[in-house]
Amino acid sequence: MTTLAPPGSPTPATGQRRRAGLLWYVALAVGLAIGLFSFGYQLSAGLTVTGLTNTVTWGLYIVLFMFLVGVSAGGLIVVAGGELVGSHQLESLNRLAVIVSGTAVAAAAVSIIPDLGRPWLAWHMMVGPQWMSPLVWDMAVISIYLAIAGVDLWILTRPEPMARWLRIMAVVTLPVAVLVHSVTAWIFGFLVARPFWNTAILAPLFISSALVSGTALVLIVAWVVRRVSTWDPPAHVFTDLAKLLAWFVAVDFFLLLAELVTAYTSQTAYHLAPLEMLFGGRQAPLFWGQLVLGVVLPFLVYVNPRLRTRMGLLVGAATLSVLGVFAKRVNILMPGMYEPQIALPPGVPAGRADQTFELGALYVPTWVEYGVVVGILAFSATLITVGVRRFVIPRSDGS
Amino acid sequence: MRDTDVLGSLLAGDDPNEGAPVAVERTSAIEALPPRSRAWGEIDVRSDTPRWGMLVDTERCIGCWSCAVICRSENDVALGMWWNRILTDGDDLDTPTVGAHGQLEMAWLPLACQHCDDAPCEKVCPTAATYTNDEGVVMVDADRCIGCRYCMAACPYGVRVFNWGEPEKAPGVTEGMVHARPVGSVEKCSLCVHRLAEGQEPSCVVSCPAQARIFGDLNAPDSRINQLLRDRGGDQLLKEKGTEPKVRYLPPRRRRSL
Ligand code: SF4
Ligand code: SF4
Ligand code: SF4
Repeated sequence: MTTLAPPGSPTPATGQRRRAGLLWYVALAVGLAIGLFSFGYQLSAGLTVTGLTNTVTWGLYIVLFMFLVGVSAGGLIVVAGGELVGSHQLESLNRLAVIVSGTAVAAAAVSIIPDLGRPWLAWHMMVGPQWMSPLVWDMAVISIYLAIAGVDLWILTRPEPMARWLRIMAVVTLPVAVLVHSVTAWIFGFLVARPFWNTAILAPLFISSALVSGTALVLIVAWVVRRVSTWDPPAHVFTDLAKLLAWFVAVDFFLLLAELVTAYTSQTAYHLAPLEMLFGGRQAPLFWGQLVLGVVLPFLVYVNPRLRTRMGLLVGAATLSVLGVFAKRVNILMPGMYEPQIALPPGVPAGRADQTFELGALYVPTWVEYGVVVGILAFSATLITVGVRRFVIPRSDGS
Repeated sequence: MRDTDVLGSLLAGDDPNEGAPVAVERTSAIEALPPRSRAWGEIDVRSDTPRWGMLVDTERCIGCWSCAVICRSENDVALGMWWNRILTDGDDLDTPTVGAHGQLEMAWLPLACQHCDDAPCEKVCPTAATYTNDEGVVMVDADRCIGCRYCMAACPYGVRVFNWGEPEKAPGVTEGMVHARPVGSVEKCSLCVHRLAEGQEPSCVVSCPAQARIFGDLNAPDSRINQLLRDRGGDQLLKEKGTEPKVRYLPPRRRRSL
C-alpha cells in the first residue's frame, strides 16, 4: 500500500501521482488475478492442494477470516464511539473509517468461501440453517454489520448533515460490533474439544485485538490517502489515534496475560500442552516475536509524546500492530489445532491417498493458500481505493 | 462375491458329481456352514425403538486391525482415510511402556465415532448435515455437507475424516457396500447403518477374531451389551467432555503385560 507514496514529496505533482495511481491499479489487478487463479485451481482439484490435513483442518483461510473480522472493528467504533461520547475529535476520519470497516467485513465474508470443501452448496446455510451453530450466528451478525456499514456510509455522504441519524446508528452499531467479535470468538470458544480455545476470555480478547488492528489500519490508510491526495485531515487525528491505540494495546496485552497466567498456574497437562507450544515449542518464535515487535515496540511509540508525533515512526508502529494481531490469530488457532485430545500412535489418518497416519504433523500453507490470500487482500484494497476516491478525496482534486 | 466364486469353483472341482451346475454347489457350500457361524452377524435381542450402542472389551482386543480393515472395504473408505483405527497405548507403536515392576506393558484402543448422545459435531454443523437418526446413530448427510469442517474441530475424539481430493482406491478394488462420499465432504463411522437395516451387526463386530466388540440395543434390557454393562460397567472415553458416547469400553481386568 505504501508504494503509492512517491518518496520525498508530500504534495506530489499531478503527473507523478497519476503514474503512481496507475501502478497501484496494475498491482491490484495482478493480485486479483493471482487470487482467482489459485481459487480456480483449488476448486478443480479440491482442498487437497492446501497444506491442511485431518489434524489441522483449519489453517490460513480461517486465520485470515478471524483477522479481517477483527480489522472491521476499528472504523465503525471510531465513528460510533466518538458519536456516543460526544467527541468530534476524529470526525474528519468518519467516511474513511466506515469504508475500511465495511471493506474488512465484506472481505471476511468472502474469505470463508475458499475454506469450504463445497462452496457451491453454501446456500444450504441460508436456506436450512441449523441455529445451534455459532457459524450460523456469525453469518447473521456479519450480514447485519455489513448493512450497518452501508447505511453509515450513506448517511455520511448525504450533502446535508444527518446528525440525529448518525447518533441512532451509533447506538445500534456498538452492540452489534461487540456481538460480531464475540460470536466470531465463540466459533472457537464453544468447542470442548479444544482446551486452548475453550475459555471465557476469548470473546473479550477478540474484541481487544480487533480494536488494536482496526484502529491501526485506519491510521495507516489515512496516512497513505493523505500522502497521495489532496485530502488533508487535521494533524491531531493521528496523535489521537495513537493515544487510543496505547490503551487498546495495553488492554489487549492484559487480557492475554490474564489467560496465560491462569492457564499456567493451573499446572494441568490439559492447559500446559498449548502453553508449551507457545513458550518453547513450534509457535515460540511467532509468540515471542509478536510480543516484542507487535506489542512492546508499538506501545512505546504510542505512549511517548515525542515519538508518536513522528509520522514515520507512528505508521511503522501501526503496521507492526496490524501484523502483530495477525500473528496473534495464528497463535490462537494453531495450538488449538495441533493438540488432539487422544494423541496415541499411530495418530490421525492424514487424508491423502499416499499418506498414512500422522501425529503432531506440522502445518505449512501451500502456494495456493497464499495465492487466495493475496487475492482477498487485493480485493479489499480495491474496495478501499474505490471507496476512498469516491467519498473521501475532495472532488475538486479532479481525480 | 468374488470370494464365494472362488470357493464355489474350488468345491465344484472337488465334487464327485462332475457336471452339476456351479451355482447349486455354491449355495450348498454356504448352507453347509454350522448354524452357529451363520447366526454370528445377526443382532441379538432388540426393542421396538432401538438405541444402538457398542462395547469394546479392551481386555480381549489383540490389536490386530481386522475391524479397521474390514470397515474400509465395507464402507468404501478411500485411500488415506480410516473410519476406525487401533491406537496403541505404549511408549510408541512398537515400544511397550515399562510398568510398575519393570514389566513391559501395552494396550490397544480401537477408536471410531463414539456416537455421542450429546454430539458436539452435530451442534456446530451449520447445515444440519450431521444429525442423529431415530436409532441414535450420528450420521452425515453428504448431500447437505458444505465441507466447512467445523464438526472436525468440534469432535473431541478426532474420528472424522475429510475428502480432501477425489476419493482414490487401491488398484483392483471396485467398491464397498455403500456409495463413496463426494470430494469436499466429511465422513466417519456410520455404525454400518446399511447393515442395521437388515438386522445385521456392523462389520467390525462380526470380523473381530477376539470377539472384543459387542453390539446391541441399549433400550433392550436383555441384550448382551446391557448385560455386560450391568456386570462389568463400561467407560466412556473423555467422559469429562460430557458428550455421552454410546460406544463404551470395558477396561482390562488384568493389565496385559509382555
Ligand atoms: S465421536 Fe465425534 S463425530 Fe462421533 S458423534 Fe461424537 S463428536 Fe460426533
Ligand atoms: S463439514 Fe459438513 S457435516 Fe461438518 S459441520 Fe460442516 S457442513 Fe456439517
Ligand atoms: S460400525 Fe461399521 S462403519 Fe463403524 S467402525 Fe465398525 S465397520 Fe466401520
